[in-house]
Amino acid sequence: MKRYVLVLLIALLALGTTAVWAGAAAEQAPEGPVKIVYWRSLTGVAGEVQEELVARFNASQEKVIVESQFQGAYAEILQKLLAALAAGELPDVVLLDSPFVALFAKDGALVSLDQFVKKDKTGFDLDDYIPGLIQDGYYDGSLYAMPVMRSTPLLYVNGDMLVEAGLPRRAPKTWDEFREFSKKVSKYNAAGEPIQLGAGFTMGQTSAHWYFQGAVYSFGGLVSDEQFNIHLTEEPAVKLATLWQDMVFKDKTAMPSNSHDDFLNRKVAMVFGSTGSMGNLLSRADFDVIPAFMPGQVQNLVPVGGSVLAMTSTDKFRQDAAWEFMKYMTSAEANSEIVIKTGYMPVSKSSMNYPATVAYYETNPVRKVAVDQLQFTRPQASVISLGKGTEILRQMIEKLLIGNMDPKKVMEETSADLLKEYNDSFK
Amino acid sequence: MDFTCRQQPKGVCAVRGDSQKVFREGKFRKPKMSRRARKDTLAFIGFTAPNFILLGVFVFWPIVYSLFLSFFKWNMIAPKKTFIGVDNYVSLFNDPVFWQITRNTLSLAVFTVLFKLGIALSLSIQLNRKPKGGSLYRAIIFSPTFTTSVAVAMVWTWIFEPTYGLFRFLFRAVGVTSPDWIHNVHWALPAVIIVLVWSGIGYDMVLFLAGLKNIPQDIYDAALVDGVTPWQNFIHITFPLLSPTTFFLTVTSFIGALKAFDIISIMTDGGPLNSSNVYVLYLYQNAFQWFKTGYASALALILFLLIMVVTLVQNRLSRRWVHY
Repeated sequence: MKRYVLVLLIALLALGTTAVWAGAAAEQAPEGPVKIVYWRSLTGVAGEVQEELVARFNASQEKVIVESQFQGAYAEILQKLLAALAAGELPDVVLLDSPFVALFAKDGALVSLDQFVKKDKTGFDLDDYIPGLIQDGYYDGSLYAMPVMRSTPLLYVNGDMLVEAGLPRRAPKTWDEFREFSKKVSKYNAAGEPIQLGAGFTMGQTSAHWYFQGAVYSFGGLVSDEQFNIHLTEEPAVKLATLWQDMVFKDKTAMPSNSHDDFLNRKVAMVFGSTGSMGNLLSRADFDVIPAFMPGQVQNLVPVGGSVLAMTSTDKFRQDAAWEFMKYMTSAEANSEIVIKTGYMPVSKSSMNYPATVAYYETNPVRKVAVDQLQFTRPQASVISLGKGTEILRQMIEKLLIGNMDPKKVMEETSADLLKEYNDSFK
Repeated sequence: MDFTCRQQPKGVCAVRGDSQKVFREGKFRKPKMSRRARKDTLAFIGFTAPNFILLGVFVFWPIVYSLFLSFFKWNMIAPKKTFIGVDNYVSLFNDPVFWQITRNTLSLAVFTVLFKLGIALSLSIQLNRKPKGGSLYRAIIFSPTFTTSVAVAMVWTWIFEPTYGLFRFLFRAVGVTSPDWIHNVHWALPAVIIVLVWSGIGYDMVLFLAGLKNIPQDIYDAALVDGVTPWQNFIHITFPLLSPTTFFLTVTSFIGALKAFDIISIMTDGGPLNSSNVYVLYLYQNAFQWFKTGYASALALILFLLIMVVTLVQNRLSRRWVHY
């Protein structure tokens, strides 16, 4: 009796293994459409538009079926991707916060797109993408990511508050003017407490560093270059840091701000924000919002933010399918839809000239600032892709604007921390 | 069959594959284990195995693996882990932020436990006197216990807001300017402590109430005959007889406070300048935001030791003041 059970068990086991082998064999020659998984981020309009594009792509052809899975905010996608790497259960395409391309590409977690570009015979043209937007998809000379929902930092100005203070209804053009405007706008009560101030400086790990980078660029400086040389102790960065700090502690015309609510509640007249926040701010404010360039000092130049698409599939057929999907998501038709729905920037020349995009900007001229700024963009500082890079810069800004510590010393400490982090984690 | 049995009177015989058999008087016999006993053993294994497997996979294995990782440098992405010996521990002890967050965590734990238990105890004594509408108060005070911590953190962020927040009006009423709690290096940690105390009082109060109900009324009656003051009543009867509850709550609250995470993560994210950063949040940041798995694992081991030592000390001290 026992022996029969044993034999049966062995037979079952054998059957199981053959089934596995059969499964593996089947993967080599797919029949019917290839199913791939897309990990998306972002909620609200920016999330809905992705779902819509996935549905359109699935309906438009029969070879590939994309399953879109919402995985949370950028930071959560990152964490889930780490877990997936450890488990070996990877999605095929992921939406990544742009500075993290280098981090994942460096250790071979992303598939290089060079081979797909090379063998693509459908007239796909890399040169169609805006150079400033495709540039940070490269790591070590190979293309790893394609631009999808790209944004730049902007200055949002409360036009009504400026006019009340006797200023023209326009954004300040330079940082000196930014400081002047702030002085004129600020009001205090009898006890000396501020009622309204000129500007709110964004704090926190997510984006404080981004606006700081933009401001350093405008002073003609850099946070770090592509070889990871850190330029924070040089004059432009120190000058800017001193200016921001003086506005908070000497002039008392600006404050650290954690949320755009300070702007919407008229607590401050000017805030930094992403092009992606434009729709939100314009619709929620009950005053005249002017989206404008970040002030320039010696030049107009801003770091590009937002997300890119990267490929993580391990199977050859799924990779081909993923490539088709990535091409669609960044095509003129799809991108134009994203631009119109969200306010993100067009990523290619063909998307900018796409009839729907052109018509959209004609009816909403105020939103055109995003496109106008496109020519003044460069990738973010290389140190952002270090695991702890954004955190170190967040600490720097807190030291400057909350701790009121000497800017020169803060810059030296920050440079040392960044260098240590680079040696520790990236080299 | 590999038969290596030496001829020994009543010796144990080693036969590969069947070590259970005992050589006795030239004959193989199974050891005495009745059918029933065997069945019981199997049943025991059958019933406990699911639990042990789950515990093993989700508790014991991660602990061992984390200990293993603490000797490596690994960013979770790279296929290779680099062995670096005790370097993680060395850099941890040289990390000023580590000492800062350890200090923060301990002061957070001490103050949270003190205020939380103190307030909960006095509230429960009031409620034990069965005032009018007592059950309503009890329900209200207990309500933070079943409120989501995220919601708690969001609402309190608004209460602390210096321009529109509720605290500003309360401070104004007594003629003081409210500090900018969450953005101030000195006030961020106290702000977090206030929220933790507020959200923990209800649960402690209910346990204290249960403890109070267990104190026999005749002791109080006897004391009344002897003419004690209410204060003596508390010091000599209520507090000693409540000590098991107090002890339990001290230990669990202290451990809970050492592991504080969610509310802080949402309210301040440890800032500004790490002034409200605490142990578990720092561990999380290292592991999942900055990809320092080894360093975070080293932190986890130190936290494990810290909690163990604190609990042992509390246990030892408890012999002096807890009366069962």
